[in-house]
Amino acid sequence: MKTMKVSFNVNSEDVTLDVRPYETLLETLRERLFLTGAKEACGLGACGACTVIVNGIPLRSCLVLTPEVEGATIMTVEGLREDGNLHPLQETFMEKGAVQCGFCTSGMIMTAKALLDRNKRPTKKEIVTTISSNVCRCTGYKKIVEAVEEAAKRMA
Amino acid sequence: MILPQFEYKRARSVADAVALYKKEKGKALYLAGGTDLIPLVKLRLREPKAVIDLKGIEDLKIIATRGGSLSVGANATLFDLKKDPVIAAHFPALVESLDATACETLQMRGTLGGNILQGARCLEYNQSLEWRKARGFCFKMGGKECNVVKGAKVCFANYCSDNAPSLISLGAQVRLMGPGGERTVKLESLFTGDARAPFAMEGGEVLTHILVPLKKTKGAYEKLRVRESMDYPLVGAAVSVIDGKVRICVGGVGAAPRLYVLGDIRDAASVRDVAEKASADAKPVANATLSPAYRKKMVGTLIKRALKRALAEGKG
Repeated sequence: MKTMKVSFNVNSEDVTLDVRPYETLLETLRERLFLTGAKEACGLGACGACTVIVNGIPLRSCLVLTPEVEGATIMTVEGLREDGNLHPLQETFMEKGAVQCGFCTSGMIMTAKALLDRNKRPTKKEIVTTISSNVCRCTGYKKIVEAVEEAAKRMA
Repeated sequence: MILPQFEYKRARSVADAVALYKKEKGKALYLAGGTDLIPLVKLRLREPKAVIDLKGIEDLKIIATRGGSLSVGANATLFDLKKDPVIAAHFPALVESLDATACETLQMRGTLGGNILQGARCLEYNQSLEWRKARGFCFKMGGKECNVVKGAKVCFANYCSDNAPSLISLGAQVRLMGPGGERTVKLESLFTGDARAPFAMEGGEVLTHILVPLKKTKGAYEKLRVRESMDYPLVGAAVSVIDGKVRICVGGVGAAPRLYVLGDIRDAASVRDVAEKASADAKPVANATLSPAYRKKMVGTLIKRALKRALAEGKG
């Protein structure tokens, strides 16, 4: 089948790629751009491990066809670092031990980042609601919620 | 999970989408948020030759007041609708069902039109091709009988939209446009009652707008779920009180939502009767994550809960 030319911006870099029309954004990010931070877990939109931010909105990249993101601005967990410094969320996730196997972590962080971008001071309840979009199968969500709370404080 | 091969087409207008559909000779599927469609295609439950992306159609994103109705473009996302001030001021049942749908991230991608037109679900149906082959195809997949109720030549899959019941309770209509032209129907008459093909729609029809009578209502939506997030409703009950009349709609059990209209809200006996009748009408089978007996009982319970909240002092 004929490939399609798709252009978008990922982590502040413009890219133009030839992709299969039935290729998911997750496949493009991982297999063409080697941005392997977004993970494939369920592949059906149920878990959130593949979450990336597209035009300011957290999206499950396993449910998005790459041709759908023509012209979009995309941020993956690899794009969070600024001037060699980790993003406050990355720091607090490590400090609070909000990571066990780590497979859900990039999705958790991107979901939390989108929340902090639209709501500078979320309540604990708002953080819990947002984070309930993502599934962690190792640990509880307590430390993850604490890490987001702490990051919000540091960014205020 | 890898997708099967298909073409990707972008529609600039509804007419353009219908023309593309005709060109693909009916072998195409319309794509909006994709949160229901893409998993179905990944599981090989739908095998389109092409998908036609409707997200670029501006008219389908507009939320506007038109002639006594709130007209919601089918591509408006659940999250945006939840935050809409007109909806918040008029339709409490809808606000609650939008909030109860899936999770925040999926609400930001999923559209109201897509939520209404989602496929009916069953533990024996929403599985991978390998799983289904090993089990043997069920009635919905073209097999001889239902895999849940042995010998049954009926499909018992559940229609799991949270928002269709609340929209029906609000008296919503839907506008459709297809190869045969445009039509507007009551949302409750969009359903066939057959879970193999739940919607009474012509091939190529696009759900373009949802029209909700713009009146101040009281209301509530109650949902039976195992987790507080992401789950589909195991039972959903929406209640709206419009001009003193109560409209109750039950979803999550069987192929179509069921509507009950109550004349007088002050009559406690009629509330009990309708809850009992709805419970008796519901015919859940062992195709979801909770037992049929429990789900059946919860139909009446959720109606009573929703009514109690809808009629609570100082609400609405």
